[in-house]
Amino acid sequence: MLTKLSNSKFLIPIMAVLVISAAGLGFYISLKQSQNRLEQNTATQDLFWPNPKQINDFSSKDYDNKDFGLKQMSGKWSFVFFGYTNCPDICPITMSVMADVYQKIVDEFENIQIMFITVDPERDTANKLSSYVSYFHKDFIGIHSELENENNLIKQIGIAYFYNKEDEKYLVDHSASIFIIDPKMRLIAKLSPPHQSETIIDKFKNIKRFIDEKN
Amino acid sequence: MKRISGLIFFLFLFLNNNIVLAEKNMEINIADLWISEAPPTVSVLVAYVTLINNSEKPVSLVSVSCPLFSSIEIHRSIIKNGIASMQRHAALEIPSKSTIKLSPGDYHLMLFNPKMPLKIGDMPVFIFGFSDGTQIRVKANIRKRNNRAH
Repeated sequence: MLTKLSNSKFLIPIMAVLVISAAGLGFYISLKQSQNRLEQNTATQDLFWPNPKQINDFSSKDYDNKDFGLKQMSGKWSFVFFGYTNCPDICPITMSVMADVYQKIVDEFENIQIMFITVDPERDTANKLSSYVSYFHKDFIGIHSELENENNLIKQIGIAYFYNKEDEKYLVDHSASIFIIDPKMRLIAKLSPPHQSETIIDKFKNIKRFIDEKN
Repeated sequence: MKRISGLIFFLFLFLNNNIVLAEKNMEINIADLWISEAPPTVSVLVAYVTLINNSEKPVSLVSVSCPLFSSIEIHRSIIKNGIASMQRHAALEIPSKSTIKLSPGDYHLMLFNPKMPLKIGDMPVFIFGFSDGTQIRVKANIRKRNNRAH
């Protein structure tokens, strides 16, 4: 019976079907595992999957007063967070953590960029923003945009901020989360505070692996 | 302009040194006053400090001043539902026999409009005023934040 089957002309197609199904099963299992890994590591973060928001074109200025929009972000993984230079406690903590993150992963992932978007463009002039952002790392990008502009990243990402305007020393409450935008300009994840560089690096690597597998 | 404000600053230090200082106050102590080094263009700096109350009664920190800044306020950073904000406190109570540490991400001193950029090695003098009338002069250090990448 066995000999008969092995001689059969169906052997090759049967083997092929078996190999393909095994490969498919293997792929499915590895995908599931990576998904589980991601879920285990995302307890404190919102992963905007399976329907990430697509970021549309916008026109902002960087701290050199050069145009900054979709073109400067596509093809790169961007870490985006918000603050203002008159925030001397929380913002520098996030900046320092992100400087540490960047330093540790920039060699491994060349296409990453760190963007600080001011929620106080009235007081944060290009010059102020430039000296503030580059103090933490020379590669960091400071972004300045018209708050009224419907397309600006603050509105597209949808972060909250409030002014407490009593005098010229006014404070701005703002989102302390770090957002991750992928090279296809999709808003992939929100990392909630408190921030620690090792945790951010782990989460980023998991998210990147997950997205790379989906692509 | 820089020279003039520098001159005023040193004049102030000189005058202050001639004020008779209270004996080293054992009831209230101030330790580890430091200002976080910051880019030269910022309008608000931050300082952290440890306040120790050895007495049997609670006492409050009610004022902090330094001739280098237009004003100094006590603030607390709060992150609630992912939103960072700061609350101003007119005073900060230190319960009896206890220590309060102002530290990054929590209570801190907001130093408004520095008259000149501060660099590591500078040691501006601050005056801390308490609810029982005690005034204590302390020198601050300028320091980099711990987790800053170099």
